[in-house]
Amino acid sequence: MISAEQLVGEEQAEWYSLTPMERWRESSKLWEVYLAMGGSLDPEPDTQSPFFDPSAPSSRLVDGWPGLRVVRRGGV
Amino acid sequence: MGGQACVLYGAAEFSRDTDFAILASPANLSRLRAALADLQAEVIAVPPFELKYLRRGHAVHFRCHHPEATNMRVDVMTKMRGVDSFSKLWQRRVTLRAEDGTSYELMSLHDLVKAKKTQRDKDWPMIRRLVEADYFRYREKPTAKELRFWFLELRTPELLSDLAAAHSDPCLKLTKQRPLLKLAAAGKQSDLVEALTEEERLEREADRQYWAPLKAELENLRRTRLQPA
Repeated sequence: MISAEQLVGEEQAEWYSLTPMERWRESSKLWEVYLAMGGSLDPEPDTQSPFFDPSAPSSRLVDGWPGLRVVRRGGV
Repeated sequence: MGGQACVLYGAAEFSRDTDFAILASPANLSRLRAALADLQAEVIAVPPFELKYLRRGHAVHFRCHHPEATNMRVDVMTKMRGVDSFSKLWQRRVTLRAEDGTSYELMSLHDLVKAKKTQRDKDWPMIRRLVEADYFRYREKPTAKELRFWFLELRTPELLSDLAAAHSDPCLKLTKQRPLLKLAAAGKQSDLVEALTEEERLEREADRQYWAPLKAELENLRRTRLQPA
């Protein structure tokens, strides 16, 4: 029998092994970091959705970035 | 019922909007209006927040302006392609309770998987992960119901073949409903991969067909909205 680690790798297998409430807590941690960094709650446009409306008003900034900015790029 | 439910069932790690399947009754809509008012939510795009649109299968989209949820998106639906009526979904729901006493009413995993069979690319890997997570959690001592669910919904060729080898009788019984199980039972991996791809293609096409008249309605509503009074 194939194991979860073999199939999807350790990280995803660990996620699979959590209980729903443990996943909820882990997801909440991601939220805290994301929001602390200025991430927006407004999702990206879902262009494949039948509900997608290109004329719908968006709260997104005109440059398309939510709140995060690249402040440093690794040099070569 | 959307990304947040996928988080709880083990597929997604992060989702920014919140989707609700609701009972489309006048009384329930009043309660929902009050809750959305608390969130300072406004309807965005079309259709308007009316019972008739929800009953036809449209989703209504909101953006919240409450300081604690600024720009959060909330989508509300009552009818989905290939999914049972709300009353049946409600009977089968899963209730999770957090340490702080908050309850979360989730669409059952079986129903969520059905609801995710859309025309969008991103839903298909999600379905795969949802069923994988369930399979790895319960495969040691599966019930007949779980076996049936996995045989009908697993999208991972390796796991389908493992499952078919371990439980040949239920596999054969379900081949009429899902012919590609014959390939899983025969260990024909490359044919199984092709059959899964074809199965997905047909579902996505069915979803496009289902949405064609509804999209036309939305287009009409958009045109009406853009016309000057």
